[in-house]
Amino acid sequence: MFDPVDDVIDRIARHLRRPVQIDPALDGRVMREITALPTPGGATALGKAWRWLRRPRQLTLTPLGGLAVAAAIAVVVLLARMNFRSPAPPQAESRAFQFVLVAPRATRISLVGDFNDWDATRTPMLRAGSEALWTVVVPLTPGRYHYAFLVDGSRWLADPSAPVARDDDYGAPSSVLTVGRGGDS
Amino acid sequence: MGTSDAALVRRVQTGDTGAYAGLVARYRDRLGRYALHMLGNREDAEEVLQDAFVRAYRSLARCDDPERFGAWLYGILVNRCRTAGARAARRARRFVHDPAALETAPLAGPDARAEWDDTVRWALARLPSESREAFLLKHVEELEYEDMARLTGAGVSALKMRVKRAREQLQAMLKEAERV
Repeated sequence: MFDPVDDVIDRIARHLRRPVQIDPALDGRVMREITALPTPGGATALGKAWRWLRRPRQLTLTPLGGLAVAAAIAVVVLLARMNFRSPAPPQAESRAFQFVLVAPRATRISLVGDFNDWDATRTPMLRAGSEALWTVVVPLTPGRYHYAFLVDGSRWLADPSAPVARDDDYGAPSSVLTVGRGGDS
Repeated sequence: MGTSDAALVRRVQTGDTGAYAGLVARYRDRLGRYALHMLGNREDAEEVLQDAFVRAYRSLARCDDPERFGAWLYGILVNRCRTAGARAARRARRFVHDPAALETAPLAGPDARAEWDDTVRWALARLPSESREAFLLKHVEELEYEDMARLTGAGVSALKMRVKRAREQLQAMLKEAERV
């Protein structure tokens, strides 16, 4: 479906992606500045040793040596599995969570959050019974989710019945929901 | 095929300072584009870019993965742009904060392309710096959210929200500009 927002954003992005030429004289200025500085990491014995340890190297093995290494790895893996076999992690089960908002004057509301990539088209809310009550049910696996309500496509509302996101540097209000292993929040 | 980033980084680390020129030439224009869009003028962008290259050189021993030198350098530039942007905002020199002046700012240019360029730059400069940063990294530099999170230190959710709001604000501003 044609989305006028995407069309405008695509045009802007294409425009901004055009190559930009920076004055090549900048290279000379950078080089003049760094030649007065010491070699990065220093030329100390410790620095050299650290670089030597981190540098990747090619090892050569004879086929016989390769087989011996493979056999040793297989033995270590088998022993580790025999001694430390842990039970398979339980599958994260999703539980249904109902989100409710009272908004008598709203004409449309979407639930947006981490669980739907903040996509306003994916989780529209529906009027339930009374005209003022909007609701939607979302299955959630255990985890911590930020979310908000998008009212009439432009107004962001935190959930009045949930904690406000403390690390809220989003520029818009949002709430936090923590879903525990047993589905508690 | 040219020498890899990792090979050039290792040469610099072992004392071949001249090899750094290869890295500067390789990343100059691409990083310059981000700085230019982020700061809104060429003079500041070049100053920040030069600073980022010099800082990267001085910290090269801390570049743990020379194969990813470009991403590491990007992180330094993003931080330098933030600092420079905050400084510029304090000086109130670079960006216009007067809404009345913005409304009457001329948008027309000598041709349609220049007009569009002016409009885009005008709209971009009006975005909050965090939104502008997120929008440029996502839609212009085409990074994944996980990479953006590593570069900016912000969470993926926060970044998604910033990008979403930037898109909405840009669209609204462009609509407003078309009416002028």
